[in-house]
Amino acid sequence: MTEQLSAIPSGIRYYFGGEAHLRRAIEQAVMSIFDGWSYEEISTPTVDYYSLFERGMGALEAQRAFRFTDTDGRLLALRRDVTSGIARAAATLMAKRERPLRFCYAAPVFRLRPGSHAEWRRESTQIGCELIGRNSAAADLEVLAIASEILSRLGLDGRYTITVNDLEIFNGITESLALDAGAREQMRQLVDVHNATDLRSFLVAYASANECDALGQLAQLSGKGEVFDKARRVIANKRSLVALDRLAALWRTIDSLGLSDRFEIDLGDVSRLDYYTGLVFKIYVAGAGSRIGSGGRYDQLTANFGKAEPAVGFVLDLDTLSETVRAGSGTILTDEPVKEALSIGHEDPTKLFLEALQLRARAERVVIGQVEETTCRT
Amino acid sequence: MPNLTIAIAKGRLQTEAVALLARAGLRIPSGAQSSRRLAIEDESGCYRFIFVKPADVPVYVEHGIADCGFVGRDVLLESDADLLQPLTLNIGCCRIVVASPLEMPGNGSGILRVATKYPNIAARHFGALGQPVEIIGVSGSVELAPVLGLADCIVDLVETGRTLQENGLHIVEVIADSSARLVVNRASYQLKAKPIGSLIDALKAAAKESEF
Repeated sequence: MTEQLSAIPSGIRYYFGGEAHLRRAIEQAVMSIFDGWSYEEISTPTVDYYSLFERGMGALEAQRAFRFTDTDGRLLALRRDVTSGIARAAATLMAKRERPLRFCYAAPVFRLRPGSHAEWRRESTQIGCELIGRNSAAADLEVLAIASEILSRLGLDGRYTITVNDLEIFNGITESLALDAGAREQMRQLVDVHNATDLRSFLVAYASANECDALGQLAQLSGKGEVFDKARRVIANKRSLVALDRLAALWRTIDSLGLSDRFEIDLGDVSRLDYYTGLVFKIYVAGAGSRIGSGGRYDQLTANFGKAEPAVGFVLDLDTLSETVRAGSGTILTDEPVKEALSIGHEDPTKLFLEALQLRARAERVVIGQVEETTCRT
Repeated sequence: MPNLTIAIAKGRLQTEAVALLARAGLRIPSGAQSSRRLAIEDESGCYRFIFVKPADVPVYVEHGIADCGFVGRDVLLESDADLLQPLTLNIGCCRIVVASPLEMPGNGSGILRVATKYPNIAARHFGALGQPVEIIGVSGSVELAPVLGLADCIVDLVETGRTLQENGLHIVEVIADSSARLVVNRASYQLKAKPIGSLIDALKAAAKESEF
């Protein structure tokens, strides 16, 4: 059987023409916003030790990496995420640098197995930022403000929603119910899919009937500021209430900044308990069937590399983002080159390129036309 | 232009789902349902319904082509789709079971041959028991497999148990109870919070009504 030269592996693709142009434009726009907030660009290795991603993302996520072995037998992987590499650098290479550290990046990441129907890509580009060494409401707000500026700059105003939650609300509840790890994961899954009915029947074994009814609502508590009053009626433990107050304070600031129409509270967002430790947020844009970005606070992550310190950040998916921007209208970014190309042609190659170089010096866009070849190349 | 697109699993769930929707005030024009059209709007023009194979409901909803869908828990357990399940409905009730011609399935070789339309559910179930299995994927008439010797047992959906009985099989074990769920795309849930919220409330009220 002959090899099929046209085929490329599943979940991998080409980008060219207008689409490639738009992706580059979005990447530049986003990176310049990060620069505007004093975030330093960082590139992490494309090939790294598999153990990096195990420590940085947890075994389950790391297992989805492309893996191969180094010459000394150690297991390598293609970059599965960027945050792991940054967390390691912050805790080791940059351990002595003054805090906070502010980093941003744009890089392709790879997964051997796609995570779901909608996430079919095995190569995708992540654009994101990390703010390391600060545990304050201001740090949380900083990254939320940056995310919001990016979406506005991309012309997505009125079309996006950022949901916010604080995982300590959920952690406080599971602690007060004294759930073991297995039960906690079961409860997390039920809350995560907003399944109030099954959550109520699950809780029967751990709580009184009144508590079951109250906590059952947790899965579907989402909305604006009114969520806090409703939540206070169903939550009694101190740890959750502290987190709820913290989230309410964040919400008040968001509201005072005039951004509350772009944000939504979703107490049912508990997708990554093993990773995030406080604030979590997800970014949705009309026209995209899945979220285009997510982020939050992960104060345990750098501890995995030997230096515990608070950190907050988010990541955007360039592929989903550019598809959404491309499908929408009225955006400031286009998928067409800005300038028409000037076509030039001359028989004499010296004259031809003299003119071309002059035009290029004035930053004109040129295209070398068809020129009759007078000498034959051998 | 409809506000919401709702995917409905064709087949056994369809009639019950459409009846529940009608009680919730979402009426499909008479005539439209019996036609062969796969995408139709309700009388108000606010909702569009698409009728797809059960296993395709999670696919359409996860991609956001449909905002929500009606589908059995069996399909969700099999698909591992990342969807919200804000409503458990009391329709399409059935069980996912292991069934076999014998009280205890097995052929003495230590490995069990399992015929099923649900390879993931079957693999998880026997994996949890530590039982080595050979999963034989079939797409219909599963009950035939043990009768003709293709498999030692089956993992399948059972509503009344009549098909099992008529083919000389009995239930060895119930893996899970299943009923219909309203599933919702995660992005739609946030971006179309209002129409989805009122759909959920209307369905809740309609489901409660029919209980009494």
